[in-house]
Amino acid sequence: MRRQQVGRLSAALYVGVSSLAAGVFLAGTTFFGDYAWVARVGGAAWIFLLSMIILMPTVTPWLKKRLAGQQDRSEHG
Amino acid sequence: MAEGKAEDRQQVTIPVAGMSCAACVNKVEKALKGLTGVEEATVNLAASKAGVSFDPAACSLADMERAIKDVGYEVPWSTVEVLVLGMMGTHCEQNITKAVSALPGVASVRVNLGTDSVSVEYSDALTSAAQIKNTIRALGYQVEDKGQGEDALDRERRLRQREIRRQFVNLLIAWPLGALVMLGTFRDYWVLSDILPAFLAEKLVLWALTTPIVLGPGRQFFVNSLNGLRRGVTDMNLLYATGIGAAYLIAVINTFWPDAGFGGEKATFYEAAALLVAFIVLGRYLEAVTRGRTSEAIRKLMRLQPKRARVLRGDEEMEIPADEVEVGDICLVRPGDSIPVDGIVLDGYSAVDEAMVTGESLPVEKRAGDEVIGGTINKTGAFRFRATRVGKDTALSQIIKLVEEAQTGKAPIQALADKVAGHFILAVHALALAVFLFWFFVGFDLWFSPDSRLMLTPYQLEDLGVFGLALLISVTVLIISCPCAVGLATPSAMMAGTGKGAEYGILFKGPDAVEATAKVQVVVFDKTGTLTKGEPSVTDVAALDGRGEAEVLRLAAIAEKNSEHPLGEAIVRGARQRGLDIATPDSFQAITGQGVQVQSDGQTVLLGNRKLMAERDIPLDSLLPEAERLETEGKTVMFVAAGGQPLGMVAVADTLKETSAQAVKELHRLGSEVVMLTGDNRRTAEAIARQLGIDRVLAEVLPEDKAQEVRELQAEGKVVAMVGDGINDAPALAQADVGMAIGSGTDVAKETGHVILIRDDVLDVIAAIQVGRATMRLVRQNLFWAFGYNTAAIPLGAGILYPFLAQVVSPELAALLMATSSLSVTMNTLRMRGYKPRIKRGSGQRREARS
Repeated sequence: MRRQQVGRLSAALYVGVSSLAAGVFLAGTTFFGDYAWVARVGGAAWIFLLSMIILMPTVTPWLKKRLAGQQDRSEHG
Repeated sequence: MAEGKAEDRQQVTIPVAGMSCAACVNKVEKALKGLTGVEEATVNLAASKAGVSFDPAACSLADMERAIKDVGYEVPWSTVEVLVLGMMGTHCEQNITKAVSALPGVASVRVNLGTDSVSVEYSDALTSAAQIKNTIRALGYQVEDKGQGEDALDRERRLRQREIRRQFVNLLIAWPLGALVMLGTFRDYWVLSDILPAFLAEKLVLWALTTPIVLGPGRQFFVNSLNGLRRGVTDMNLLYATGIGAAYLIAVINTFWPDAGFGGEKATFYEAAALLVAFIVLGRYLEAVTRGRTSEAIRKLMRLQPKRARVLRGDEEMEIPADEVEVGDICLVRPGDSIPVDGIVLDGYSAVDEAMVTGESLPVEKRAGDEVIGGTINKTGAFRFRATRVGKDTALSQIIKLVEEAQTGKAPIQALADKVAGHFILAVHALALAVFLFWFFVGFDLWFSPDSRLMLTPYQLEDLGVFGLALLISVTVLIISCPCAVGLATPSAMMAGTGKGAEYGILFKGPDAVEATAKVQVVVFDKTGTLTKGEPSVTDVAALDGRGEAEVLRLAAIAEKNSEHPLGEAIVRGARQRGLDIATPDSFQAITGQGVQVQSDGQTVLLGNRKLMAERDIPLDSLLPEAERLETEGKTVMFVAAGGQPLGMVAVADTLKETSAQAVKELHRLGSEVVMLTGDNRRTAEAIARQLGIDRVLAEVLPEDKAQEVRELQAEGKVVAMVGDGINDAPALAQADVGMAIGSGTDVAKETGHVILIRDDVLDVIAAIQVGRATMRLVRQNLFWAFGYNTAAIPLGAGILYPFLAQVVSPELAALLMATSSLSVTMNTLRMRGYKPRIKRGSGQRREARS
């Protein structure tokens, strides 16, 4: 798999997971509890930002390693 | 990654400018390791260098430079610019580019036909300006020195000064504006309302003052963190950017939308964002200023490299650049001159100050036949010498290379600290997320009080909503946890330690050698040539029947005059030193295993052991008690007889070095066990050990078994240092946890061992251990300041005191604490500059007294 493809796949992963985390927060605070809209939206944005920062540098190398491992196995197998 | 053969690999040291923390180290390492053909990359923050092992067929220096620049750093290569006469057109340009590019370590070649000049960027670890000039000359061009080149040191200094200037300008913007924001924020308190105009407290004015700080001096953190994130790496800038960004954003929201639930107008943290930038910029500025000082030792060594040399070419005396001196050139040195290269004195006499290279505190006399070292200073007389080592082969260049390599490497403790710091940033963001969620869903409901305040400020947080409080604490955690000091703690101490060692002629081959030297429990000395002078000499002469001792020694010397045995040579040398006339014997007969028999002046002279005397019926009764006493002292006794009668005896022994006994005593004081390893018989070995106070003797050990003996000591669970001759004891030195090659002189590149002691002084072993221990003490203190601060500060930042005091650490207080941590680490390291190993204190006076 080419470097660009790995980049796109990992971007999809970390943006997806971060959005999911922010979405869960937004849904949770909307349906359970009595929070102001600023707290709900602001909190979701902060969670999205921190999740992105945590996931961006971890997902890309993890995916690269995983795909390289799969490639090795398919070449040897 | 390409798998090349080990023999195809090349090692290069690349200077890297612009790194400021452990995360930068990880970033550069990651970028280099990501290149095809790079097998290993180790980056040292304090040395600002990257050591790379690579396959030149798969990867070029230009690729590495690009990779480093891509992640936001600079490569200050050495440059040389020369005037090349005779270039006719583009084919000349191509020829020169091709030939120079083929040299190892050349990063770029620029030929300018208009100005007849060639400019080359290169790694001075792999090639030299002289090599580049010679390559162009070999193509048939005339090369003149333009003298405009700058070495990596100059360039690194220039970049550092640029960084210092840049941060200083940032300081000039951030601090005055930040102070105004601070005053405006607190205008309503104390007497400030009487002094300051009311408009200064206006939120819009505070916004107008803070915005240039965040977008000006603060911009670097946003740009750098974005660059890193794009390549999947995080660094300290990210912590700063999220902290500053969040504080600024809250303030802007509270100014323009005060009812949004972020605490309203009373919680506009403009001063937090402004002072956060100001403190971080202050930290960066101080770090840039102080970091240059920790590499003082290597700068001192580099500054010693002479620029010009006076040589004799034909009958003409001419001055040329020192790097153009060739092996075999005759160099002229006048009083006060720097010696340009290494060589052997041909004629003349002088005293040379070698302190800066060997650590020898007194000037060393030089006369015909003596070696001189390039970079040392001629004091009084004038002399001529023949160049024997030039360019990269000189002792000084080798020492600089060794120290540079040592400073580029990583001690095990440093590798661990870097790894921890690298993961720390992600962990801190994860912690900030957890803290946010905790205070949002749990903490606010349980403990929020309208009396809440920011620590050490009069700020009331009564209007702060659930999101405002959770966000504030989360941001504070990000800022307070910044592990900048961790990245600097170990490498800066190692750099100071290895540099300090070099000042005393002690060369550590890497930070791991420093770490191991500090832990040494057992010091094993090779006897001959290490504790002893390695050359037997006459120690005692006894005479019978009124014959003088001189006569006994004279006859013994006549008997040994034609001998090539070391003991015989010692007797002849002893007689000559006493001014005795040694006649050539009429006949000479060696008696295997017993001694010699000669005819001289018509009488038969015998010199040998008891067995020889017994066979010739020579009675030794009156000599034996004294002989046995001398033998218990480890001396070899030879009896002298003439005309069938005993005349006396001569004792020969390998004499101890003047400082050996003191060295053993000092090692005991340091708590080390001292072991002597020798091939000698046990009685001689034990006699010497008794004189020196050595704890344990391993005698009758064959040279090939020395490594095994070291291994057995290690098997007892001890950290073993082996001190010996770098060449003969190589296997044992390699086996030991720390191999110390002593008395290597100036040819340091040939030496095996982890630590090289240039001078032949056993006391340097103690100095090496003391420097090692002082360095590791510094490392531990620095790590304490760095990690201890984080450990203590994170719970505070996370709001552990809030349920009890209703106070939160403000972001600017967090920034101040963080800057203090970095500053305490660098200041602590700077203490090493004034350090002198205990054994060296007052050594100058001691030597003078002895001489």
